[in-house]
Amino acid sequence: MDTANIQTIGLLIDIFAAAILVTAFLIVSSRSLAFYIRLFALQSLFLGGVALLVAVGYGETHILIAAFLTIAIKAIAIPVVLTRVIERIHVQKEVDFSVNVTVSLLLCGGMVILADSVAQSILGARQADATAVSRVLSVSIAMMLIGLFIMTTRKKALTQIVGLLTMENGVFLSGLSITYGMPLIVEVGIFFDILIAVLILGVFVFRINKTFESISIDSLRSLRH
Amino acid sequence: MPDWTWIETQAFSLMVAGYVFGGIAPLFLSIIWRSNPQSRAGLNRSIKNIGFGGALIASLAGCVLSLSVLLSGISLHVEIPETLLFGPTAIHADRLSAVFLGVIALLAAPVSVYSFGYATDFLPRRNMGLMVFLYNAFLLSMAGVVVAGHAVLFLFVWECMSVTTFFLINYEHEDPAARRAAFLYVTMAHIGTAFLVIMFVLLWTFSGSYSFDSFAGIGSRLPSGVRSVIFLCAIIGFGIKAGIIPLHIWLPEAHPAAPSNISALMSGVMIKMGIYGMVRVFFGFLGPDVPEWWGILILIIAVSSSVLGVLYALMEHDLKRLLAFHSIENIGIILMGVGAALLFTALGNKPLAAIALIAGLYHVLNHATFKGLLFLGAGSVLHATHSRNIEELGGLIKKLPWTSFFFLVGAVAISGLPPLNGFVSEWLIFQSLLFGFHMSALAVKIAIPLTVALLALTGALAAACFVKAFGITFLGIARSKAAEQAHEAPLSMTSAMGFLALLCVLFGVLPGSVVSVLDPLAAFLVGTSAAGQVTLNAGTLTIPQGTSSSISPAMLTGLLLALTAIPLIAGYLYAGALRRRVAMTWACGLQEIAPRMQYTATGFSKPIRMIFSNIYRARHEIEISEETSPYFQPNITYELKTESVFLKYLYEPLYKFVIGAAMVVRRIQTGHIQTYLAYIFITLVLLLLFAR
Repeated sequence: MDTANIQTIGLLIDIFAAAILVTAFLIVSSRSLAFYIRLFALQSLFLGGVALLVAVGYGETHILIAAFLTIAIKAIAIPVVLTRVIERIHVQKEVDFSVNVTVSLLLCGGMVILADSVAQSILGARQADATAVSRVLSVSIAMMLIGLFIMTTRKKALTQIVGLLTMENGVFLSGLSITYGMPLIVEVGIFFDILIAVLILGVFVFRINKTFESISIDSLRSLRH
Repeated sequence: MPDWTWIETQAFSLMVAGYVFGGIAPLFLSIIWRSNPQSRAGLNRSIKNIGFGGALIASLAGCVLSLSVLLSGISLHVEIPETLLFGPTAIHADRLSAVFLGVIALLAAPVSVYSFGYATDFLPRRNMGLMVFLYNAFLLSMAGVVVAGHAVLFLFVWECMSVTTFFLINYEHEDPAARRAAFLYVTMAHIGTAFLVIMFVLLWTFSGSYSFDSFAGIGSRLPSGVRSVIFLCAIIGFGIKAGIIPLHIWLPEAHPAAPSNISALMSGVMIKMGIYGMVRVFFGFLGPDVPEWWGILILIIAVSSSVLGVLYALMEHDLKRLLAFHSIENIGIILMGVGAALLFTALGNKPLAAIALIAGLYHVLNHATFKGLLFLGAGSVLHATHSRNIEELGGLIKKLPWTSFFFLVGAVAISGLPPLNGFVSEWLIFQSLLFGFHMSALAVKIAIPLTVALLALTGALAAACFVKAFGITFLGIARSKAAEQAHEAPLSMTSAMGFLALLCVLFGVLPGSVVSVLDPLAAFLVGTSAAGQVTLNAGTLTIPQGTSSSISPAMLTGLLLALTAIPLIAGYLYAGALRRRVAMTWACGLQEIAPRMQYTATGFSKPIRMIFSNIYRARHEIEISEETSPYFQPNITYELKTESVFLKYLYEPLYKFVIGAAMVVRRIQTGHIQTYLAYIFITLVLLLLFAR
């Protein structure tokens, strides 16, 4: 493939990666559970796009399968499952914060800077051939941090799941950026894992809601004694 | 010349099959029975008979296996090619295994017979299937411990042994004391196993294999630091099971809590598994060239175990607890033999080491017989009176003549009096130590005389303790209604005790045969045979080293009998026919005495409590309720407590420290999921920031 094409694909990957980061920030600032899930679906769609571009642009055909699986499972199946859970437990409304939106966004900004500096030091020697893909590494690390941050500061059990999934997206993206994706068998394994995890977590959320009449994990504190 | 290998293989298969059958068959029986409903007691009775019958047959097969290995010197070796759990393992029964297997089987056989009668107590209210399953599993795992030829298999059966005993101690689980004892036991057992795992892993790193063959004689290839760590791990790991002081705290709790047939096995053989492990590791793996301080350390442990064990036993009024403390004492005596053997090996006097080791192993056998006998006797008393407190007993010699007689035989044996077996092994230990006086090493000059003196003290105190135990329990007049209405135990129980009493006499009168069996083993472990050192002929033991020393227990027995006869005959000749006057026991000339006027166990042990008050730290509490006038006191409560130094100054601070540390850690445990996530998050960010 000629250089111009590579550059176009590199540009597209950059734009998609930026879009993923934006969805992550939107999740942090969002207040409604349903919106959370839609944002996650969008994020997964963009992730699938990055995978597709990598597959086409760098000739890694096995990533093609991973890309389709990403879109099928993360952008469609999981959001559907989670939406159903929300409908069944009738909690559409607010997300509980333990850190408010403004501070959260500022902290997440800080995390992106941290992630970028970490990514630079990881790439270090490879700086010379900094392809678009390896530039994505800083985005993926930021995603992992933001996912963990969501899990730490949001109180509803469903937001925990979304946080976990965001982290997982970050892991997938870093896999893509460093080694053009992990071996297919590993990818398939992870997808299967994530799907089952979400199903089980969904059941858990349902049970937690039934037991405590709320999905705020604050109530789990009473299990301590 | 019989085909030894064939006999050994057959005996081994029969032994395993017997235990497995005895343990599992009752399970099927109860399933079949369910479709044919009859009385539960009938089912329990057949379960009992099948279970203990299987154990009896298996134990007899174990005796055959042990004897054929000891007589032929051909080891039984079975390679197990590839098992699901451990990979390739091996069963290996050499002379050392055979001695301990013999001890197990020799005690397990009479205890199984005893159980036929003893377990009838449990028939109406207990799960008999569980009892026989655990009983057989316990015996099989002990046999497994001594014949395991592979570290992983060894640890597996070792843990099986701990787990089965945990459930057996817990058998009467409504009693909170039993539950506490079982928990304490299993905690200590696991701490011990942790040290054993460390020991085996260290050995593995240098040998490259887990089989005992590869460990044999590895000591010379190890760096001295590693060797000492292995040695210390073995002392702690095996010492907990053996019940050495200060790791003994589980023992006086667990032995009384278990049913008496189990206590007999636990005290008679299970704690010996610790000794087996030590001898195997010290002499088989790490020997024969060992540092001097190992022997000294073992002697220190041995002396403190034996002296403190017997001192605590003196204060006990619970018959089974008293016997449990005597187990600690006897483990101490056994370890004196082992420690002296290590010390003499280190100093290069191998013949003397062989004598000391033979003495120690001989005492293992003797302790199994007389302590098994005593625990069975205590079980018989418990069976008859449902009381273990000797202050509530008394006068049982009239109600339980056979039990009393056999208990007396056991008491004389454990006190180390001739002509019984306890005397012979203690004499051998004394001799090996006394010959050590000739050595010039400073450590020996200090350690040996002290050990000898304290061993003598132990013997005297043990005699005092059994005068108390026997006198208060069996002599005098009954102190409670239960003791008054006691009845003799059934034939199965008395015959089992009779068999063990007979063994006590045989091993005491004919020591030559036992020593000649143990001699090749000592030769194998230490490197030199004691033969030529200990001369054996016609029941006479002679040790010709420096000044020669010899003893003939058989002749001693004859002499003792003759000496007893002399005053009787002389009295008859001098005063004519013996006059007979019937009076109450210990009535001191009074016509009639009430049970409460008798000497009590507390009173009997008072002088010793005064002399050793520093160790006992006894506390008296006298509570007098004055209701009407100071001259008529309706109630006086007297309480006497002795405290355990080890519990107060070693275990309590340790316990407090662990709980305190846990409380500190607990502060960060908020129970809040987000807090835990925040810990992870902050750690991650900090690592990213500083550890790039």
